[in-house]
Amino acid sequence: MTETTNEPGTGTGQRRIRQARRFVDRTETGALVTVSVMSTALLAALAGFLAVSSLTIAPFALFLITAGYGWLRHQELTARALTLAMTASTLLILGLIIVFIFQASMPVLSYESMRVFGVEVPGLRMFLETRWDAVSDPVRYSMVPMIHGTLVVTVIATVVAAPLGVAAALFLSEIAPPAVRDIVKPGVEILAGIPSIIYGFIGFTLLSPWASRQFQTTGQGTYLFVGIVVGLMALPTVVSVAEDALSSVPESMKSGSLAVGTTDWQTMTSITLPAAFSGVSAAVILGVGRAIGETMAATVMLRGVPRLTDPLINVFYGQETLTSLIARNYGEADGLQMDALFVAGTILFVTVLIISIGSQYIEWRMRKKLGGEV
Amino acid sequence: MASATESDLISGRTDSTEAVAGIAVGLAALLFALSLATFFDVVSVTGTLVGVPVVPLVGGLLILLGGAIITFGIGSYLGYVETTPSPTAGLVAAVAAAVPWFVAGVSVGSIMLGSGSAGGVVLGLVTGAVAFAATAFPREDLGSTLPIGALSILAGLVLLSGIIGPEWVWDLGWEQQASLTAGFVVPALTLATSLYVGWAAAKAYGGFGARGRHVGAYALVYVNALSIVAVLVILLAFTVFRGIPGLLTGAEIGLGVGPEVGLFGLSVQLPVSLPFVMNGVALLNDYQGVLPAIVGTFWLVIGAVLFAVPLGIGAAIFLTEYAERGRFTQAVEVATNGLWSTPSIVFGLFGFAFLIPRFGNGKSLLSGMLTLGFMLLPLVLITSREAMLSVPDEYRDASAALGVTKWQTIRSVVLPAALPGVVTGVILGVGRIAGETAPILLTMAGGTFVPGSQTVDVIGGFKFTATPPFVANPELLQATSALPYQLFALITAGVGLGDSVANPNDFRWATALILLVVVLSFYAIGIGARYYFRRKLQYE
Repeated sequence: MTETTNEPGTGTGQRRIRQARRFVDRTETGALVTVSVMSTALLAALAGFLAVSSLTIAPFALFLITAGYGWLRHQELTARALTLAMTASTLLILGLIIVFIFQASMPVLSYESMRVFGVEVPGLRMFLETRWDAVSDPVRYSMVPMIHGTLVVTVIATVVAAPLGVAAALFLSEIAPPAVRDIVKPGVEILAGIPSIIYGFIGFTLLSPWASRQFQTTGQGTYLFVGIVVGLMALPTVVSVAEDALSSVPESMKSGSLAVGTTDWQTMTSITLPAAFSGVSAAVILGVGRAIGETMAATVMLRGVPRLTDPLINVFYGQETLTSLIARNYGEADGLQMDALFVAGTILFVTVLIISIGSQYIEWRMRKKLGGEV
Repeated sequence: MASATESDLISGRTDSTEAVAGIAVGLAALLFALSLATFFDVVSVTGTLVGVPVVPLVGGLLILLGGAIITFGIGSYLGYVETTPSPTAGLVAAVAAAVPWFVAGVSVGSIMLGSGSAGGVVLGLVTGAVAFAATAFPREDLGSTLPIGALSILAGLVLLSGIIGPEWVWDLGWEQQASLTAGFVVPALTLATSLYVGWAAAKAYGGFGARGRHVGAYALVYVNALSIVAVLVILLAFTVFRGIPGLLTGAEIGLGVGPEVGLFGLSVQLPVSLPFVMNGVALLNDYQGVLPAIVGTFWLVIGAVLFAVPLGIGAAIFLTEYAERGRFTQAVEVATNGLWSTPSIVFGLFGFAFLIPRFGNGKSLLSGMLTLGFMLLPLVLITSREAMLSVPDEYRDASAALGVTKWQTIRSVVLPAALPGVVTGVILGVGRIAGETAPILLTMAGGTFVPGSQTVDVIGGFKFTATPPFVANPELLQATSALPYQLFALITAGVGLGDSVANPNDFRWATALILLVVVLSFYAIGIGARYYFRRKLQYE
């Protein structure tokens, strides 16, 4: 630490400015002007697009022209600026998703607000009452039945996907001979590739009638079978992430254990799995995220009647999940009901985002612990 | 299953010991297969098998199985069988044995005392605790065989004595009426018990101890892997089997039977006619088809790729080559992974709120393309980034040593070296989005049946106009169909379908088959490309 960095804030700030000044000095003026015009035009086009202006095309054309010119004359700097803009686009898209779905869910939140100790809490009634009825009075948009449905389906799916997925990942990464691995691994990938609507179709034509007959329920659609199908669809995610985690355990750790005379299985349970534990749990968490967001299979196989099952553990009846609510009702919904669908979307989005960030944190910690690159 | 992991050490033991445990493993496998066959209605619960009613037969086999495994355990304990047991079966085995005994206790208690009563739970806790203790405290050869063998015998007795017969029904007495019937309970019971006893038998086959646990665990892991592959094969085979009749309706092969295809002014008559993929839906058609949906899917994928691939690769270049690690790159990584796991229906909602008002206030092909592009972007970014990170730094150093600029290094060294990984990732990503229904549901989808005249023609649709934005393409701004949406619409349309097509069910399955073929061909190409590139890299 030198004396100039006593105050870290201003220190780095000044260094940034110095760096920027040096960069400007070194770069050709022509290149700088081109890139500045290009970025301004792109920002203007973005602003125009957000403001729903038909003039958006003008700055966008200017952007294309300057980018083309820059590509021919100052390729180095133009490429750098363009790739930076592309990188920022991922942040932009995530930001736009947040803004737009939150914004669209606002009106219904204020409609469903409730007074608690004299304080108006927007949207509270959606989570305290259990009535969803968009037609007859009193019109209520409770999310509780759908949250219950999503929860039940996710729990069943996790019970299916987590043990089978981790076992399959162990098989692929530690046990299988190369020839077998070359068959099973693409198989798991193809399982992920089968479109969810096809899973749903098979569930709808085969599983639902079967379940209705065997469990003697009135009508078709059970959370039990939706959960199993969704678990099957989340399985590939669990397998591939857990397999990555297991194979990132250093070979030296495993060899050390085997050299003491353990069986392969003992090495797996007492060395490999504990070392990769956080990665494997991240895999399960990501699988849970997939299961929560699964839409089409649930939409096709469920009843589409938003209510709680009676009793709550009655998994033989499948009413509605957050995802299937959106997919089923977007068509005839308008006004507050459409906004209520956005609330369902917001709940899904926030839950899954938290899950994603949590699993990334777990994976980051694991890589740090194993001493690999962070 | 266990024979797959048989080693020289194990096969050196006496034959008779092996035979008992081996028979138990084989019997468990037989019961496993039998329970699956019952689930798939190949074997009926009410029917007979080799002249014996199914339920008592299964019961008898379960008793035999339980008896065999207990005999083996006691024989080992008394020293008649040469094994190497540990002092205890361990915590995992104890918990594993306690769970089914708890379930058995609760079920018996609930059936006798009525469901939901506390008595069932108490009975379950007692039986579970006894099973736990019986597994954890004695030596391993007793602990890992007795409780599980007894469970098998109990299940067998229940089936053999007719307490659960073929016509058995237990009404759960819930507000929303539901019952457990023999058709579900008998195979489920058999499946669970055969897995448990198979595990215990595999442990016994390995002579208990560390090696026994190894064999037991491997048996389960192999069964699991085999089941996953079996599920995949069954799914694919089933869809193909059911889809073929609809697909081949009215198919003809021969000179001059197919429709005319014009290309560069040349018109050729195809020698094959496959109306299902060559026609739309029209009143006068002999056979109806899904051509508009196929073309819609094609353009949808093209649009998403044009949007997402340059963005994703550009961002990957910036992140791996230019950016220093800091807050910005970290934020981008978190955002990318967040986008990757965002549910597809949320993308649909976003497209509905963001894109539709900006593209003519109606569902359109363009909105669908961009929505799918948003979904594809994180996939492309993540795979491209991995591919670029795996390019060795020596390549970059060697190029930089020649005195070229960074961008030239990226363009002529990094990108070509990373190309195989990027291409594979893009193809797999495309396969994924081509089958997505939820995002296009809200942004693009049109009707259930699309007339052939509405097949989109994007290239021919461009026009110049006098008002801003000066370029217009009505084809892009129309709602059109795509295969996954078409299948969804066909399913939800239900019985109202009968008037438009001769055989609605065949039509649905054929649509599913075409969708599966389109999506899986992307996967086949992607997996094949990866395999090819890997082989090539290994040999060079």
